[in-house]
Amino acid sequence: MTRTMTRSQWAGLSVLLGLLVFSFMGMVFSPYSISQQDLNAVLDPPSMVHWLGTDHFGRSMFTRMAHAVGLSFALGVLCVVTSSLLGTALGVWAVWGGKKVDHALGVVVNILLALPGLVVVLLFAAIVPGSFWILYLAISLVQWVEYFRVVRAITQNVIESPARQSSHMMGFGRWYQFKRHIWPAIAPSVFTLAAFGGANAILTMASLGFVYVGIQPPLAELGLMTVELFPFYSDAPWLLAQPLVVIALMVFGFHLLAGKRV
Amino acid sequence: MSVLLKLTDVAVYVGDTCLLEPISLELKQGVPLTILGQTGSGKSLLAQAVMGLLPATLSLRGVVEVFGKPLPLSERQSLWGREMVMLPQEPWHALDPLMKGIHQVAEVYQHVQGQSYQQAMAGAAQDLQQVGLADSAHKRPGQLSGGMAQRLAISAATAGGAHVILADEPTKGLDVSRRDGIVRLLQSRSAQGSLLTITHDVAIARQLGGELLVMKEGRLVEQGKAVEVLDHPQDSYTQALIAAEPIAWREVARPSRDQAAETVLMAENIAIARGGRTLFEGVSFSVKKGEVVGVVGDSGCGKSSLGDALLGLLPVSAGKITRSNNTAKPYQWLKLYQDPPSAFTASVSLGTLLNDLVRLHGIAQERIAPLMTRLNLPETLLQRSCLEVSGGELQRFAILRALLLDPVFLFADEPTSRLDPITAKDVTHLLVELARETGCAVLMVSHDPDLVQKTCDQVIAL
Repeated sequence: MTRTMTRSQWAGLSVLLGLLVFSFMGMVFSPYSISQQDLNAVLDPPSMVHWLGTDHFGRSMFTRMAHAVGLSFALGVLCVVTSSLLGTALGVWAVWGGKKVDHALGVVVNILLALPGLVVVLLFAAIVPGSFWILYLAISLVQWVEYFRVVRAITQNVIESPARQSSHMMGFGRWYQFKRHIWPAIAPSVFTLAAFGGANAILTMASLGFVYVGIQPPLAELGLMTVELFPFYSDAPWLLAQPLVVIALMVFGFHLLAGKRV
Repeated sequence: MSVLLKLTDVAVYVGDTCLLEPISLELKQGVPLTILGQTGSGKSLLAQAVMGLLPATLSLRGVVEVFGKPLPLSERQSLWGREMVMLPQEPWHALDPLMKGIHQVAEVYQHVQGQSYQQAMAGAAQDLQQVGLADSAHKRPGQLSGGMAQRLAISAATAGGAHVILADEPTKGLDVSRRDGIVRLLQSRSAQGSLLTITHDVAIARQLGGELLVMKEGRLVEQGKAVEVLDHPQDSYTQALIAAEPIAWREVARPSRDQAAETVLMAENIAIARGGRTLFEGVSFSVKKGEVVGVVGDSGCGKSSLGDALLGLLPVSAGKITRSNNTAKPYQWLKLYQDPPSAFTASVSLGTLLNDLVRLHGIAQERIAPLMTRLNLPETLLQRSCLEVSGGELQRFAILRALLLDPVFLFADEPTSRLDPITAKDVTHLLVELARETGCAVLMVSHDPDLVQKTCDQVIAL
């Protein structure tokens, strides 16, 4: 599928790729590990030894940032893939499967919509604190609803269209009808939702880390690092700035990638 | 006879490209002027140029004189409503969907003419009575039929007191029976001034009389008295345009039914109800192999629903439909759609769509080329998507796709109503010819009784 990208979408993509490369290099080439302490060198400013300085336990910020960014990307991508696949599949099924399926899915979706997303995620996070997989499950569960609603609304129009009816009458199967009629209609919206979804997943994980219910220490996670470095904001502001700037860059990159359409 | 409107060498350009070549015309009092031409002939541009409604990207050259004085754009705009008025093409887009009909007319009296509310309502009521809408004065546009909405739009447009009326395709999408009424209404409204009509319909030009201009691709091809031009057209394009009217078509219907042919489909006493309303009941007929059956009736009478029911796309509320041919596969019962672009996906090229079909049903490749030649479809068409080809080409491509499946029954739902007359004639004749050759039964829905009369072996009037 060829989709022409605007200049701002290319910019968004390069910001994200840049962060990804940074994370990869950091994880592979750094001589330090994320939990290796050096209490003789705490709160050091950036130097040749520690490129981004050290935190309050003397751990290498460069290594920790690289791991944290990698973790955020992993969660964002996993959530986007899962929720978009689930939401799209169920959205199409709701239209195609007849009234009963549509009603049943409608009930589930309304229940999920009635609960604030962050509360659902907090609930899950409280069951198994510090688990990456439970966070992934909870965020995906919240996010698929959006894909479902958009896909269902567009698919309804496509199913009614003469073009789809014509293909159906000529004997084409459902997979063909999906490929030729439904997917081209929903693809732009799904891509846009996916880009926003990636940003939201990363923000959600950071928020949970910030209130200590997300990923637990000593693992490096952007929200957790923010709250850990918070007490040192006047002694070492460059440390606190690092996770904040990176979160902002990631969200910015995803939003640019989403393009103009909402 | 005073000259109300005079155009001297008026041309329209976008940048340096000429869209409308220099044209001169005079609109005299009491002599209606009609501009005849197909889509893309630049006739609507001319009307917009006269009114001063051209988009900013287009530039106008030449002189437009109104009431004997050359007037610049801004002064022409001050004449809107009071002296000259342009009727909208589609009334639905011009009327407020939430406002009752009578208020839409009264508003003009109140704000353009400056009358009091009571006076305005009285004037509006009288207007609506004149156009036969007294009973529907308090309905909203959505509750009106196409013809009624157009009458309402005309009442509202002319309430300002304008006598110079520009009508751009005033009967687009209306049934033949409604069309004549609208034309008569326009004639009476412009009795004290004049009427400039833009149309692709030769019948309207004939009915209006007066002066006639024939345009093609932004160029004037013929000009003169309507009667003379229509009866003795000089230019080959005008001749083709007149010959494309269904009433002038050669008879291709077979005089008697071939009794020996096998029956494809039988409908007994069928009735269809939609949204709680019975559209028609007690309709019985049979369709034989290779027969072309016409269905006529006004819009909303259930013509398309009948075809959909025969294909099994809609349920019937009573009666029985029997398919006699048991060996035919489901995909040999097909439909041709009214609006060709909406019947194709724009996501891939037409060639890909054709290949999909060939692969699915194992159609022999060598059948395609001769059929494409027959349908006058160029090979290059296959590289384009459905949005990049003309409506006529696309409808012929739709016929190609259908014929490759060896259909036993084809439901053609107003297959040519969105096409230009000359194209429409070609497509209809091709469809009828091919149906006869291949022995496919065709159910052709149309709002034009002449078209059905000339082409169909059997006519069902709903």
